[in-house]
Amino acid sequence: MRASLGVLGLALGSVSALLGIVVLAWGLRRNDPRFLRLGRRYAFVLLGAAALSVFAMEWALITHDFSIRYVAENNARATPLLFTITGLWAALEGSILLWGLVLGGYLAWMAHRFRNRATDPMVAWAMIVGFVVALFFFALMLGPANPFQTLANPPADGRGPNPLLQNHPLMAFHPPMLYLGYVGMTVPFAFAIAALVTGRLGEGWLAETRRATLVAWGFLTVGIILGAWWSYEVLGWGGYWAWDPVENASLLPWLTATAFIHSVIVQERRGMLRVWNLSLVVATFCLTILGTFITRSGVIDSVHSFTESPIGGWLLGFLAVVTIGSVLLIAWRGDRLRAPGRIDSPVSRESAFLVNNLLFAALAVVVLLGTVYPLLAEALQDRRVSVGEPYFDRMTTPIGIALLFLMAAAPALPWRATSGEVLRRRLLVPAWLGVAVMVVAAVAGIRDLWVLVTFGLAAFAVGGIVRQFALGLRAQRATGTSWWAAPWRTVRGGPRLYGGLVVHLGVVAIAVALAASANLSTKTETRLEVGQSTEVRGYSFTYVRRDVVMTEQKRSVKAQIRIEQGDRDLGTYAPAVSIFPGGMSGIGTPSVRTGILRDIYLTLISAPTDRDRVTIGIAINPMVVWLWIGGALMALGTALALVPKSRRIVGPASPTPRAGSAPPATDTTDAVATMSP
Amino acid sequence: MLAVVVLAVIVWAAQPSGAPTPAERARALAAQLRCPDCESLSAADAQTSSARAIRRDLRARVAEGQSDATIRQAYVERYGEAIVLEPERRGLGLLVWGLPVVMLGAGALGLALAFRRWRRLQRRHATPDDEAIVREARRDGPTL
Repeated sequence: MRASLGVLGLALGSVSALLGIVVLAWGLRRNDPRFLRLGRRYAFVLLGAAALSVFAMEWALITHDFSIRYVAENNARATPLLFTITGLWAALEGSILLWGLVLGGYLAWMAHRFRNRATDPMVAWAMIVGFVVALFFFALMLGPANPFQTLANPPADGRGPNPLLQNHPLMAFHPPMLYLGYVGMTVPFAFAIAALVTGRLGEGWLAETRRATLVAWGFLTVGIILGAWWSYEVLGWGGYWAWDPVENASLLPWLTATAFIHSVIVQERRGMLRVWNLSLVVATFCLTILGTFITRSGVIDSVHSFTESPIGGWLLGFLAVVTIGSVLLIAWRGDRLRAPGRIDSPVSRESAFLVNNLLFAALAVVVLLGTVYPLLAEALQDRRVSVGEPYFDRMTTPIGIALLFLMAAAPALPWRATSGEVLRRRLLVPAWLGVAVMVVAAVAGIRDLWVLVTFGLAAFAVGGIVRQFALGLRAQRATGTSWWAAPWRTVRGGPRLYGGLVVHLGVVAIAVALAASANLSTKTETRLEVGQSTEVRGYSFTYVRRDVVMTEQKRSVKAQIRIEQGDRDLGTYAPAVSIFPGGMSGIGTPSVRTGILRDIYLTLISAPTDRDRVTIGIAINPMVVWLWIGGALMALGTALALVPKSRRIVGPASPTPRAGSAPPATDTTDAVATMSP
Repeated sequence: MLAVVVLAVIVWAAQPSGAPTPAERARALAAQLRCPDCESLSAADAQTSSARAIRRDLRARVAEGQSDATIRQAYVERYGEAIVLEPERRGLGLLVWGLPVVMLGAGALGLALAFRRWRRLQRRHATPDDEAIVREARRDGPTL
């Protein structure tokens, strides 16, 4: 019953995607607006069909319908409700179902957003591309990745989700956020292809997809950060990023998308970089497919590749078609893509964006090469090799530092060209702030060069951001706005600028956290008997007692550890090891005392088999909480950038110079450096 | 002035703070080796029993006075080259190390060349005199 309902939804989804393609193509061919108006409506049918399938799966999960193979493999009667619901994305087939639902949502959004322009060939083509992508994923589910496969002899109880996936509530948020980001990149991709096909390669398609891209980028950012958080809270090795192939797979599209949302500004202002921007959009979409391939085909052994399945070939084929098709389209339109624009000075906002793109592209190449190298070595030379943190750290740190410098300096650069005088006025105070922080940190005993440089650049960047906000607020106050209304009105006057700056603030927080936690942490292991204490970096840890907690879901052994600092009792924390029925080895769960300056991270290394002895891992990880705060700031900044610009409010900008019209920046543009026209 | 202070701090910070202690050496070595029963974690980070065994073994080897190269070699011989978390610096591995650097260099060079071209274009802007000549010519001659 539930399986049939689910398959019905999948079939309906496939048919509506197919009908959408056929009807729109027919309408385009005959130039018949009736068909074009009809075609877009299939997006809503598709969304409904996907929702029906997801509903069927959730129903089957909640009612423990083990006649469906997916439910039997990813659910058990003892699984708590939350992890029963999240079972939808605990394995390959369910994840693709969620993918289908999200894609249906974005397509319906496209159809609704452009409802008044349904007869525009650009919109029709974009819808066709969207339907083709949807058709692929629905066909995948009807074929090799069918989530509703039934079992002839249903077991009495299911296997339950992978123990790691039923250990933390973040599981409920990380995968959906990531998918909202991944799948959202289909929208700019669809419009990019539509622009290529229709030959309308101006800036129209960029403007139309700007918000969608930003939304998808924001979700992707949040998804990645939540993944790091989950890893930190669940996996218990004390870190948050292992350069695991699957983590890299989520980072890759983020890198190219980040490059895109910066370089797009150059195209908007100067009409340049058309091929580059199209390539970035196509690359981002391809990398999301590659990410799914890496995650879900089991091609690279990784902690995330819980399943193996024959869909690898399908995804790889689709990837090849998309890549080759896009390259051919770009080559075919080559003559229309040449842009006559130019950039006046290497020291200008435009050129900073170019350098930004160069660095992000380099970062993407590093991550891509490091991720696929083991595959290449195995395929070409039949050797097994590993690439991990030492390679990635060495390659990405210098690029990251360069980007941090750029992020600090570039928002202060005027468009077109600049003079030394302007630079000095805008950057001198933030630069001295950075140097001061560097000196203080060095005096405080930090000798690691990368950490010092990162701290200095972070302060430099914060100085610049605060300066811009202060100038905006002052301009707003000058129009008679009250103190409490001024910040919001300032943002309303230039949402893209101030949203972008808030995102940058989040990046600063993350950079500081990365540098500090990677280089200044302490990690030890200790064996303790009941009542015994140990001291690490001024904290004392006492093993109080052992607790055993039995639930239907698992059996957990906890070691109660009291943490004290001098005479202050900081509370009792309980790292645990849990045994799940059906799981052989114990799953460790760290216990983290989060602090503004440092986390205390406790793990149970050997489960206390007898009552009075335990081996615990103690790590003091500085600044880690700023990763999550930085992520929240990035999300907030993205949301601010999406606020509609108010025309009635005095913006941060008096008239910004358009290409070829205004002289190089003078004093008037100083107070009002803008990120966008 | 700014540059001088930055440079001073960097030079001061970059001064070697004495030879690494045996514990630091063992930790640095562990960070370069993969934990054999994990996927991507290093032997320094992982909490599995094999990773802990490697950490113990590394401490023992360092205490014995073995050089870093000897220790790495011993591990490659025992576990195969997949135990090392870095691509090797020859053959295909050279590509992984070199390609990003080459691309970055090529990109920077491309940008530099583009800016040179753009600057030359700038000089060819029409002066008011040029425009006057064109206006004159247009008024007289036949328009196309």
